[in-house]
Amino acid sequence: MVIQYKCPNCGDDMAFDSESGKLTCGSCGRTESIEDFSDEYITTRFSVDEAKEYVCNNCGAAVITDADTSATSCSFCGAAVVLADRVSGIHAPDMVIPFQISKDEAIQAFKKWCKNGRLTPTGFMSADRIKSMTGIYVPFWIYDLHSIAKVKARATRVREYTQGNYIYTETKYYDVHRKIDLTFNKVPVDASEKMNDDLMDKLEPYDYGSLKDFKTPYLAGYLAEKYNYDNKELFPRVKSKVSSYIDRYISSTISGYSSVRYEEKRVDTKETKAHYVLLPVWMVYYDYDKQEHTFAMNGVNGKVVGKPPLSMAKVSAWFGSIAAATFIAAKVLTLIVGGDIW
Amino acid sequence: MKKRIIILTSIFSIIFIFGSFSNVYADETKQRVYDYANLLTDDEIARLENLSLQHGKEHEMDFIIVTTQDADGKDIKPFIESFYDDMAFGFDKPHGNTVILALDMSERDVMIAGFYKGKKYLDDQRATLIREKITPSLSSGNYYDAFTQYIELGSEYMEYMPGVNPDSFLLKTWFHLIVAIGLAGVVVGSMAYNSGGKVTVNERTYTGNFQVLERKDIYLTKSVTKRRKPQNNNKGGGGGGVTGGGHSYSGSRGKF
Repeated sequence: MVIQYKCPNCGDDMAFDSESGKLTCGSCGRTESIEDFSDEYITTRFSVDEAKEYVCNNCGAAVITDADTSATSCSFCGAAVVLADRVSGIHAPDMVIPFQISKDEAIQAFKKWCKNGRLTPTGFMSADRIKSMTGIYVPFWIYDLHSIAKVKARATRVREYTQGNYIYTETKYYDVHRKIDLTFNKVPVDASEKMNDDLMDKLEPYDYGSLKDFKTPYLAGYLAEKYNYDNKELFPRVKSKVSSYIDRYISSTISGYSSVRYEEKRVDTKETKAHYVLLPVWMVYYDYDKQEHTFAMNGVNGKVVGKPPLSMAKVSAWFGSIAAATFIAAKVLTLIVGGDIW
Repeated sequence: MKKRIIILTSIFSIIFIFGSFSNVYADETKQRVYDYANLLTDDEIARLENLSLQHGKEHEMDFIIVTTQDADGKDIKPFIESFYDDMAFGFDKPHGNTVILALDMSERDVMIAGFYKGKKYLDDQRATLIREKITPSLSSGNYYDAFTQYIELGSEYMEYMPGVNPDSFLLKTWFHLIVAIGLAGVVVGSMAYNSGGKVTVNERTYTGNFQVLERKDIYLTKSVTKRRKPQNNNKGGGGGGVTGGGHSYSGSRGKF
């Protein structure tokens, strides 16, 4: 099933506009609030062989997608298309954060980011070879977690004092027990196979204040993916994500000791709630020096992540000047305390 | 015309008076090398006197050398103390800035002591450094070389701020190079590492509620170990004191 949004005014295709947060018609400029968009203008059509092929309502061309895409645009007429069966049933997202940065703003933000790279080659900094800029709703699971941690540890407190001609070292041993209750709210884990986990982790945090109940029109005009892993499959990953936070909190509750040795640490983490959400990401593909570089931008706050190429000239310039400055400073200090220059 | 002569004479007399003032204590004829043990030739003594005077002027310091056959039957430390008290050395004033190197040939003791500015700029540590450097020459009987080295090293060390170890690796060029390259590597490395974007979330981003439900700290037992306090006995190391005349000094002694 394919969903398209027709303008009630002129009949052209409408797409989501990040600035107004509304559906906007590219031809006549009419805007429609997503909450009250009337169903009669949503045209849907069932394909004959739905599992394999989707057909554009406008031009009848086959909408070519890969198996995980849930929103795209028709490659012939450019109409925004949402593949309804891929955002319904078990694949229906609970919530979505709509794009708040438009394509133009994203390009500007990316160019600005490129200029700040202190080690990026000058040719790269102009950011004039952006190959494509794609707005993608990336599937995430956001987990509410509840953990109970039971810790048994052997701790020591060491004191030194002098009496007569001897120095005494007194070591006191303690048995330490802790039972700790921890809750985490909305920890995001990227559920798409295609997306690089490291890249997605660095994009956090997302502003959860702008989470909206999911409605298909938000996807119009963008790409969207459906999840490849469900919340059960990704649970180990969210557990490992919070485990360092848990460890840090546990050690903060055992303070005032000279040494702490854990004898038992049992952390029982349970999922209290998991929401399937779509989060906005701008993917930037950039050609430089015959190589394609991929960057990702948080579609809410514009944070850019991804490895820019390194300019050897700039690396050596920085290295050389820092080394030279340090060396001169060391020499000046030597002279001040009275030493010789060599 | 008369006025001009008066002005000129007064200028000249002022120059003369001040000029002679500044030379009052830099006594060219004062003896600074006392070779009671007859280790040096007359020529060597003359050259050492000259060297001592040159470096002494530079630092307002009397570099004294004294050699003795038996230190009047005393230990070298009391010998140096009474020698300073009796001779009233000092570049700036009697009992003033002085460094003394003493050799006791019967005990084969060597000691370097610094008084006043000499104490400040030639502390125990620096005195030990010099003593250790000249000991090989003394042992092999090259007394003139050892004494020359003592004056030159002492003079060189006095250019450093008090408290700084002049031989410290912190002042060496190879150390400066390592620090410069290391720091540049760390800074540029972290710049390159962070160029791909940093993780900007921490535990507080997703923290709901953390609370400790149960907390038990049970005292089990204690163990006590004891060890003897380290004794401060200076074997051939640093160590100054106060002379009978009430002049405090730094110093370092040893065998050669």
